[in-house]
Amino acid sequence: MAFRRSGGGTNNVMKRFASFSTFLLILIFLSASTVFAQVQTRVRVIQASNAGSTIDPSLRDVHDQLGSLFSFTSYRLLKDETVSLSPNRPVAIPTHPGTALEIELIRKQKDVAEFKVKIKREKAEILNTQVRLSPGRTVVIGGPKHGEGTIILAITARF
Amino acid sequence: MKHPCSSVSELVEKYLDQEVTDQEKVLVETHLFDCSSCRDAMKSMEELSTVMKVPLYEIAREEDFDRVWLKVKREIRSEEKHSWWEVFRSWFGFATLHQKRVWIPTVAAALVLILVTVPLLLKKSPSLPVEFGVEYVESKTNNVMVYEVEESKVTVIWLFEGPEAEPTTS
Repeated sequence: MAFRRSGGGTNNVMKRFASFSTFLLILIFLSASTVFAQVQTRVRVIQASNAGSTIDPSLRDVHDQLGSLFSFTSYRLLKDETVSLSPNRPVAIPTHPGTALEIELIRKQKDVAEFKVKIKREKAEILNTQVRLSPGRTVVIGGPKHGEGTIILAITARF
Repeated sequence: MKHPCSSVSELVEKYLDQEVTDQEKVLVETHLFDCSSCRDAMKSMEELSTVMKVPLYEIAREEDFDRVWLKVKREIRSEEKHSWWEVFRSWFGFATLHQKRVWIPTVAAALVLILVTVPLLLKKSPSLPVEFGVEYVESKTNNVMVYEVEESKVTVIWLFEGPEAEPTTS
């Protein structure tokens, strides 16, 4: 049985089609702008210490980069997490008991992205910084004690 | 042969409503021609019928049957089960999409959207310095030091928790 349209004719179809198309275009635009503004950010939580001489194979790059600065003999990966950051939407990542990293993408341009990074311990802010990263480059934040070692956060942006 | 009044009187009502066959019609008319009492009875029925029909016709004329019919059609349609695709096709009237003018509002909407969004996209925001670096750093609880390692292109932000926690720099 044919399903007949109730009244209205071409004008009604035009109105419906226009409103649906507009809605669809806005949706596409918003989705595209959200996707293009996103930055994949890798956060590695490392425990560095002088107890032992184990260097996690996935931390060779960090060891090579920091070897000239610090004389830690052991680098152990506690957490490796990649998050998609959108502008002005902070993401909190627990790093070790009682401490969390809060990272927020401020803005992104072709070759550089700016981040606000906070470290909070028991809700008290122990670090507040704003850094610029280009693709593939790393900012390392270290210092907080954890067990026998020191916590190092390696933050790398990919876009 | 003359028919008895009782048999004809049953047909008179049908005759008035023009529901008799040709044969019955001849029978009734022949009888009425000869029988004055049946003629009177029919005349009375005719008058009664007229009295009853006139107000009904007036009511019927005043009634908006188009509206009633629309309601009936809507009810029928609401009882019909359609697949989502049929509903979708019906909503958009795909049959009319080949008509150029259907696309006019869509194209107009797209143009408006482009005209609104393109200037926003092209609007120059203050450009960030391309070089890598620390914009600012602050800590209320710790001393902080920033190292720039040019050869490995790494920036290190170090929080000093106390003299014993300081990293051993080489």
